[in-house]
Amino acid sequence: MKLHRLVIGAMALAAATAFAQQPVRIGGTLALTGPLAATGANHKVAGEIYVEELNKRGGLLGRKVEWVLKDDQSKPDLARTLYEQLITVDKVDLLIGPYATANIVAAVGVAQRYNKIIFHHTAGVPGLLKYDMQFPTGGLPADPEVSLPELVFDAVAHAPKPPKTVAIVTSKFPSVHFISVGARDVAKKRGLQEVTWLEWDFPNRDYGPIAARVKEANADFLFIGAIGVEGLLLLDALKKIDYTPPMHFHMFPAGGPMAKSPVAQHALALTTFEQHPPFTDNPVAAAFVKTYNERAAKAGLADTSVDLQAAASYATWQTLEAAVKGANSIDDKAMAAWLKKNHVDTIMGQLRWETANNYMPGARLYKVKQLQDGKWLVVWPPQFAAPGAKLLAP
Amino acid sequence: MRTIGALVAAGAALALVPLLTLPAFYESFLYLVFFWIVLATSWNILSGYSGYFSFGHGAFFGVGMYTTATLTTKFDFGFLWTLPICGAVAAVLGVSLGAIVFRAGRMRGELFALLTLAVSYVLATVILNTPIDGGPGVALSAVAVPAIGPSAPSTFYLLALAAAVITLAIAYQVQRAPLGRGLFAIHDDEDVAEVLGVPTYRYKLAALALSCALAGVAGGIHALFINYVTVGETFSIVVPLSVVLMSVLGGTRHWLGPAIGAAIITALLYAFTASDYAVAGRAAVGLILVVVILFMPQGVMGHLVRWAGRRDVPPPPQSLRSEAPIQARNGSIVLAVQGVSKAFAGVQALAGVGLEVRGGEILGLVGPNGSGKSTLINLVSGHYRADAGRIQFGGVTVEKLAAHRIARLGVARTYQIPRPFRHLTVLENVMLPAMFGHAGLPRLAAEREARRWLEFTGLAGKAAALPAELNLHQRKFLELARALAARPQLLLLDEVLSGLTPSEIDGAIALVREIRAQGASIVFVEHLMRAVMELADRIVVLSYGRVIAAGSPAEVMGRGEVVEAYLGKARA
Amino acid sequence: MPSAALLGQSLLSGIFIGALYGLLGLGLSLAWGLLGQINLAHFALAFLGAYLTYQLSAAGMDPLVTLVVIVPAFFLFGAALHWVLARFAVSAFNSLLVTFGLTVVIEAAIQWIWSADFRRLESHYADVRYRLGALYIPLPELITLALAIVLSLALWAALRHTDLGKAMRAAAEDASMAQAFGVNARALALLLSGISAALAGVAGLCIALSYTLAPSQIYAWVGVVFAVVMLGGLGNALGPLIAGFVIGVSEAITMALTAPSWAPLVSFSLLIALLVLRPEKL
Repeated sequence: MKLHRLVIGAMALAAATAFAQQPVRIGGTLALTGPLAATGANHKVAGEIYVEELNKRGGLLGRKVEWVLKDDQSKPDLARTLYEQLITVDKVDLLIGPYATANIVAAVGVAQRYNKIIFHHTAGVPGLLKYDMQFPTGGLPADPEVSLPELVFDAVAHAPKPPKTVAIVTSKFPSVHFISVGARDVAKKRGLQEVTWLEWDFPNRDYGPIAARVKEANADFLFIGAIGVEGLLLLDALKKIDYTPPMHFHMFPAGGPMAKSPVAQHALALTTFEQHPPFTDNPVAAAFVKTYNERAAKAGLADTSVDLQAAASYATWQTLEAAVKGANSIDDKAMAAWLKKNHVDTIMGQLRWETANNYMPGARLYKVKQLQDGKWLVVWPPQFAAPGAKLLAP
Repeated sequence: MRTIGALVAAGAALALVPLLTLPAFYESFLYLVFFWIVLATSWNILSGYSGYFSFGHGAFFGVGMYTTATLTTKFDFGFLWTLPICGAVAAVLGVSLGAIVFRAGRMRGELFALLTLAVSYVLATVILNTPIDGGPGVALSAVAVPAIGPSAPSTFYLLALAAAVITLAIAYQVQRAPLGRGLFAIHDDEDVAEVLGVPTYRYKLAALALSCALAGVAGGIHALFINYVTVGETFSIVVPLSVVLMSVLGGTRHWLGPAIGAAIITALLYAFTASDYAVAGRAAVGLILVVVILFMPQGVMGHLVRWAGRRDVPPPPQSLRSEAPIQARNGSIVLAVQGVSKAFAGVQALAGVGLEVRGGEILGLVGPNGSGKSTLINLVSGHYRADAGRIQFGGVTVEKLAAHRIARLGVARTYQIPRPFRHLTVLENVMLPAMFGHAGLPRLAAEREARRWLEFTGLAGKAAALPAELNLHQRKFLELARALAARPQLLLLDEVLSGLTPSEIDGAIALVREIRAQGASIVFVEHLMRAVMELADRIVVLSYGRVIAAGSPAEVMGRGEVVEAYLGKARA
Repeated sequence: MPSAALLGQSLLSGIFIGALYGLLGLGLSLAWGLLGQINLAHFALAFLGAYLTYQLSAAGMDPLVTLVVIVPAFFLFGAALHWVLARFAVSAFNSLLVTFGLTVVIEAAIQWIWSADFRRLESHYADVRYRLGALYIPLPELITLALAIVLSLALWAALRHTDLGKAMRAAAEDASMAQAFGVNARALALLLSGISAALAGVAGLCIALSYTLAPSQIYAWVGVVFAVVMLGGLGNALGPLIAGFVIGVSEAITMALTAPSWAPLVSFSLLIALLVLRPEKL
């Protein structure tokens, strides 16, 4: 009898072990080639670091984690089909989202059809996502067109010389444009006078006339709805006609090139994380920063610092891990249910998903940073500011 | 018809794929393949067949995308209903553009490309700056996907499959129909095609309309597939560039070519999506494209067709003489030219020229170089329009008619420097006027007619050859055969003897006599006096754009002013 | 109502960017018009040149001096490209396909070497500007304008008036005829293709001086420069420059007067009107 039980026990143990050997496969795509590849590379490095460390800590539910990553070439239709491939052919266990709004929308659509939970970081237009099992982890508020401009105008209202006039110029890149439109209303409500409103096509080649108009308007505050290097190119054009805006804000700039460029001195931008205290007071964050700096350099990236993109990615993985551990399973519905009722502390701050579309009200996790002598430092709100840093203006 | 049957059968077989309950990815992948098949094939119907390369296919595709996006989100239209509307809107846009642009007659290839590219930019900017999009893009997530297949990917798969089958069928039909033959002729030499009777304006518009409509429908379907439509993605340069590449890769002269190119390139896209080799994968795709086109310049289909053996021209049927001869109208005035003038950029080529051609006669048109002989031929055939004067053919006023209408009435001409259609065989060259000219024969009858005239001119053995393989003498006779195959009542020969050897000339003269014996009236421009004196019933002499003499050969050539016009004033 | 200074500066801006369009289009137009070679890779080549300028400058070389290295290297590349295309007797539209493949390869190579991150050439040239009344003329843009004008005029004059140029044009029109007259069409073609590629290198320098680089930006220029090339007339050395000015200035003035995002509408509608109403002028 005892032998019989031993054998069964052994078989069960063997089976369990065999099952436990199967890795948890997490599938996703990123823009590794194409126009969005620069930022896609950041997310790849961040994700690889996280998965490696996660496996060192024992993986998920005792199983190793494998990230099945594909290149969607910055194309939404490719992203969509690749997510279908991940689900129906590669049969991954969990999904993690791609980079940039259009691709995320495509991926979420697929996840919805298969009732799979999906985590994503950078969708810029919350209104487009109406699936209840999509979980944004980038900290973007539910109403970015109101909350983000409010945050920015709050910051500059506490400058040494608060602005009275504002020039709002923006590209028509979808996730940027609608926030700029919102900024106009917020500015008006706060009693700021809008002296100029300009929109340009994305991508734009010639910033000369736009710069000329900005110079002529000569507002106290220049609000630039820019993504990538658009803001930098505008600053170049302004410098060429001998104009330095008194105060300038850029919405989603590529931080690296701006940091290396003297013309961008004192630029303001949005962020959720920067690699300085108080963020790096969190040892997890500090460790991530160090590893990321090394890995990014090894991968040949020009910009090796952690900013809101890489941090958002890290937060996505943190959320995924927390959800699995919290629900103690990789079942999509169980994880979703757990997330709706709980919060996750990420290196960016605390994330919650209580509202209908899982976006948080208000821009609690967003901060305003400023480029000072080649370094991005958070200057607002004060409790997140780098030690001793203040919003500088000439 | 067999091909269409095979196509529909293949389509029906493929329609069963959703029942196999394969992973949805395959259906979506095949959706993309079918989608690009529709875009590339539709582009090819105009641009590949006729040579009018459009760089703006993205505009019509984009119109379809935004039509569906707008109608479903702002006006609550059912998705399926928007599809025919997409096709209609795109076709209307294309035809409006074409109606203006093609009016100018033959347009330099790159200008059409530029125009269509410009239209894309204009459309994109308008959509970006008006409430149609305005900037944030249009989201279709709330639009219901019709339940045609067991799942959403299956539905898109089936829709795209249907669109692909229809598009391929249309491309096939067009290629075989007179429309296709006309387009291929336009591709090689539009002016000649027009003069041979091809209604070039109408045909180009028809091809454009089909091309745009199909692209519009593809756009409509795609809008719901990707769910979120933005101007940047829709109007990027990738779409027009891709359809060109796919068609060239697969072969632009064959209805199936673009489909093959589309399948290859779409498959290549997916071959290298693993993240580890993303960049190297892109490089590999580029390299593959380079190598393929270097070694298969006619595209895949072009080479497959060649390997399968040169299209076998079936042996000629027997009795060729049973056809009715050209109608003869002896005695009556066939062509009347009165007071015709034409100037080119300051040079007065013709001034107040008048002449008559009677039924069954051979009229010689002579004069020194630059006297306007070729210009007169060009005016009568409709190649140019006269500045002033009247031209009447068989009682019908023709000086304002399009050349193809004049051809239909019964006028045919040869060109001094032969202008055969380079890419068509000798037989196809001659079949064209038989189909489009005065005779207006259906294809099989046209083929018989063409063979008859090839035999008449001694070219029967070269029926399957391309014009490049002929020598000058043969090419001149090809011109002649082509002119005759239209069964014209009036034949205009422009220096058909120049460049021939003496023995060839004798043969040609005999041929011209035979043609007149068959009942045609002939105007022939010639420098070779011997031939003129032998052949012509009457002669008209031009000098500096004016008629200086008209009458019988002996009478005219003896006149002082004629000699002077040729040789200059005699010095004492 | 915008001020005179604003309009003037915008006009200048349009001229500067028009010059860059013209410079980019010059090599493309010559290869297309005189060699029957539609070289899509011209843009990738220009960006490769821009990246090389960036890299060599980072190593300490003055950006303008990098031309000493880049121009000969690109010349050889251009000649080699033509040699391959001629060897396989590649037709005009097939050359589009081949060079597209080449573009993809070059873009991938650029991303492999320099990553997809943005790269910026910080040079002292960007700090220099001249004043003309109320108007500013920045040095990088001035260099671009000067190079564009000088090269276009030089090539135009060479093609028009020198024996070599005339031989090139003859060979372009009818190679066998020209050869019957003693013209070495093959050598001329290699020369011309080399010059075309070298021009891409020069355009690359100008791009590096004024713009921030990323591999995918290659495609942002394709549409407008093709338009410039076709508008200017293929094979006409002055055409791209003039067409570039037309498009650049019309866009710039639009941006000065209304919402800048309308700019392409004006320039391309103008183009369409020109094409439809006076096609002979082109």
